[in-house]
Amino acid sequence: MKIINLLGTAVLVTLLSLFGVAHAQKSGGTMVFLVQPEPPTMAGYVSTSGPIGLLAPKIYEGLFDYDTAGKMIPVLAESYEMSADGKTVTFKLRKGVSWHDGKPFTSADVQFSIMNVLKEVHPRGPNSFKEVSSIDTPDSHTAVFNLDNPAPYMMRAFSAYESPMVPKHHLEGQDLKGAKLGNNPVGTGPYKFVEWKKGQYIRLDKNEDYWGSDGPYLDKIVGRFVPDASTRTAAMENGEVLYAAYNAIPNIDAVRLKERDDIGVTTDGYSMINPMALIEFNTKEGPFVDAAVRRAISTAIDRQFMIDTIFFGYGKPATSALSSNFSATGLHAEMPNYPANGDIAAANKILDDAGYAKDGNGVRMKGTFDLIPYGEDWRRGGEYLKQVLGDIGIQVDLRYEDVPTWLKRIYHNYDFEMNLNYFYQLSDPVLGVHRHYGTNMIRKGTHFVNSSRYSNPELDKLLRAGMTQPDATKRAAIYKDIQTILAEDMPVVNLFELEFLTVFNTKLKDAYGSAMGAYASFGNAWLDD
Amino acid sequence: MNRTSKILRYVSRRLLQGIPIILAIIVLNFFLLNLAEGDAVDVLAGEAGSATPEYMDQLRAKFGLDKPLPVQLLVYLKNVVTLDLGYSFRHDMPVSKLIVDRFWPTLLLMVSTIILAVGFGILLGLLAAVSLNTWKDAIITVFALITYATPLFWVGLMMIVVFSLNFGWFPTSGMENIAAFHEGFDRVKDIAHHLVLPTITLSLFYLALYTRMMRASMLEQYGLDYVVTARAKGLTERRITFVHVLRNALLPVVTMAGVQVGALIGGSVIVESVFAWPGLGMLAFESLFARDLNLLLGIFLLSSALVVAVNLIVDVIYSFLDPRIEIG
Repeated sequence: MKIINLLGTAVLVTLLSLFGVAHAQKSGGTMVFLVQPEPPTMAGYVSTSGPIGLLAPKIYEGLFDYDTAGKMIPVLAESYEMSADGKTVTFKLRKGVSWHDGKPFTSADVQFSIMNVLKEVHPRGPNSFKEVSSIDTPDSHTAVFNLDNPAPYMMRAFSAYESPMVPKHHLEGQDLKGAKLGNNPVGTGPYKFVEWKKGQYIRLDKNEDYWGSDGPYLDKIVGRFVPDASTRTAAMENGEVLYAAYNAIPNIDAVRLKERDDIGVTTDGYSMINPMALIEFNTKEGPFVDAAVRRAISTAIDRQFMIDTIFFGYGKPATSALSSNFSATGLHAEMPNYPANGDIAAANKILDDAGYAKDGNGVRMKGTFDLIPYGEDWRRGGEYLKQVLGDIGIQVDLRYEDVPTWLKRIYHNYDFEMNLNYFYQLSDPVLGVHRHYGTNMIRKGTHFVNSSRYSNPELDKLLRAGMTQPDATKRAAIYKDIQTILAEDMPVVNLFELEFLTVFNTKLKDAYGSAMGAYASFGNAWLDD
Repeated sequence: MNRTSKILRYVSRRLLQGIPIILAIIVLNFFLLNLAEGDAVDVLAGEAGSATPEYMDQLRAKFGLDKPLPVQLLVYLKNVVTLDLGYSFRHDMPVSKLIVDRFWPTLLLMVSTIILAVGFGILLGLLAAVSLNTWKDAIITVFALITYATPLFWVGLMMIVVFSLNFGWFPTSGMENIAAFHEGFDRVKDIAHHLVLPTITLSLFYLALYTRMMRASMLEQYGLDYVVTARAKGLTERRITFVHVLRNALLPVVTMAGVQVGALIGGSVIVESVFAWPGLGMLAFESLFARDLNLLLGIFLLSSALVVAVNLIVDVIYSFLDPRIEIG
C-alpha cells in the first residue's frame, strides 16, 4: 500500500507561508476583476468554457488543488490512498464542510458529482473518469473509487475547475443542463453567489461559514464584463478593475502597463491549462495529405519570430507534439522537424525530394488556410504563415469566418485543408493531447478532437498503453515513442506554447499559489491599500 | 368630426396596419438568421471545449432545433401571438426577461442622446443659419463636419483617455460603480455619472447630422415666399425666424429623429461596447455570434414595434407643428 500523507505537506506549506509573509493579511474590500466574454451560465460541471472557469471555482471546490510545482493540495479531500494495482483509490473527505445553503457536504455528493454529473455531461469528465466503474461510500466521509484499469492521469483532474463537486440535493432527478443551479450556483467554496446583472457583472460575497481557517479575506469578488479591449485596459489603468487573466488585456497594452509601479504582469498560472498554438491538416483530402509536405511546413516556420513579433515575446517554440510543461512528469521529449527559427532551405529540399516541382511562378501547390476566429493575433499569425508558405512554394488564401461557421467547417464538415488553432494540452497528455490523434477521437460533430482524421494503429496502441501505465519511467518511454511517430507523420504541426498574460493591480495579494491561476478559488487573496 | 377623434381613429388604423408589417419582419428575420452556418448548440459546445455528438443531439432536441424550419417558425409565431417571446437556451432564461433587463439602460442612453443631439442640433443649426457666412457659421459647420466624420469608437476611446484617465472626472465604463453597490439616490447619481461619456459620444454623431439638417432647412425656408410676405408686412426678423421659419424648418428634423430612434437601438452597439454599457445593442450583437436566434428575434421584434410606434408619434407631431398637414 502506498500512502500519501497530504496533510503533512499542507501543514508544512502553511507554516512556510506563515513565516514567509511579513504583513498579516487584511480583511475586507471588493476585488473587481475582468471576465471576458460574459459566460452563458455558471454551470462549470457542464461547460469548461473560460469565463465560467474564472467564476465557478470561487464558488465550487474540487477534491484537490495543485500547487505551482504540481503537488496536490488537499481541498475537499484530506488525503487519498491508492491500492498496489492502482485500481482502487480511497479518498478521506474533509469533515465539517457545508454547502452554501447549510446542508452538509458528504461522500454521497462526491459519488453523485463524479458518476452522475461529470461522467455524464461534463465535456472532459467522460475521459478523466473513464475507468471509474463505481464509487462506494462506506461512510459519509469516505469515497472509494473502483477503477477498471489504473488511471494515473485521473489524479491530475481533481481541481475545482476541472472536476467541481456539486450538491446532490440540487441536481438529483433534474435535467442537468437546464437545472436552476446553472444560474444560481451553490457550492462549498470561499465565496457565495449573490447576483448576476446580465451585461454588467456577477457578484460573489464572502462565505462566512467557510471551512478553511486561512481566509477568505475579501468581502466581495465582482466579475465585470467589458467587451472592448481598449476600455478594459483603461479600466485597469484607472484602478476600476484589479485583475485580468487570459489576455483580457491584450499583450500590446500589457507590455506598456508593466512599466507602471501599481500594475504587475505574470505568465504564471497556466501550466495546467497548457495552451499550444498549432496547425491542423486535413490528412484525408486536399494538398496536405502527404506527410512530407507537413514536415516541410513545420521545418519552414520561424516560431520564435511569431512569438516575438505577434505575441510580444510571450511564448515558447514547440519542440514536439507535447508541451515542455510535461517535462515535470518526464513525458516531454524534443523532436526533429521543429527548428525554433525555421529553415526555409531545408524545407524546400524536403519538398524537392518529395517530387513537388515549382511552376514558373515558383508555386508548387495551392490551398486554403483557415484561421481560428479568436481575435487579431491569430489573423496576424495567419498573415505571417502565408508569407512563409509562399517562400517554400505553397500558395495559400486565408479564410477568417465567425465562430459557429468555423466550428462547423472544421469539426462537422471537415471542409478545410489547413487550420490555425490552439488546443489546451491540460495537466496530462491523456486529458488534453490524446483527443487530437487517436483513431477513436475521429468524431464527426465533436469540437476540438481529431479533425485531421489521422489514424495510425501503432500510435493508437501506444496511446492506450500511455493511459494505463502507472510507472513513471515506463510511461515516459511510451510517450517518447508517441512523440517520435507524431514528429514523422505530423498530422498536426505544433507552433508554440502560448503564454497567456495575467495583468493585476499590485494592491491584490496572494491571489496566486495554485497552478490553476485565474481558475483557482482566490480564497487567500486580500487587498493591501 | 372633431380633431381628437380623428386622431384616435388614425392612430388605431395605423396600429392595425403595423401588425402585418411586424409579422413580415419576423418571418423575414427568421429565414435570414437561419441562413447563417451553425446553430446555438455548435457555439455552446465549442465554448465548452468539447462535447459528444449524442450530447449535442440531445441539446438540439431540447432547444427544438431538430425540427424542420417551417415548423420552428410556426411554433415561434404561435408563441409571439400569445406574447411569449420564447426561451434563450444559451442564457437559460426567458427572452422577455433578458430583453426587459437590458431595455432600460438602452432607453436611458437613447432618450438622453436624442434630447442632447436634437436639442443642440436645432440650436446650433439655428445659430449657423441666422449668422450665415460669419465666423460662427464657419465654426459650427466645421465642428459638425468633424464630429460627423470621426468614427464613434475613436471618439469614445479618446473620451476615456482624456476625461477618465487624464482628468479622472468620469469612470471609464460600466453603468454603475460595482465596487460600491450604491442604493437609492446615490445610485441615481452614480448612474448619471456613468451616463455622461457614452451619451456625449453617441450624441456627437447625431448632433452633427441635426445641425447640418437644421441649417439647410432654415436656409431653405428663408427663401420662400411667405418670408417675403412677412417682411413686407413689417414683422421683425426675430419674429420671422422664431415664429415662422423655425416651426417649418423643424419638420424634416423631426422626421429624421423619428427614423433614427430605430437605428439608435442597433447603432449604439459600438458605444455600448466601448463603454461596457449593458444595453440591447450589445445583447443583439452577442446573440448573433452565439446564434441565439430566439433572443435575436425577440430584440428585432421589439425594435420593429418601436419603429412603428415612433413613426406614428412623429406623424401625429407633424399635425401639431404644421396644421396644414391633415391626419386621416
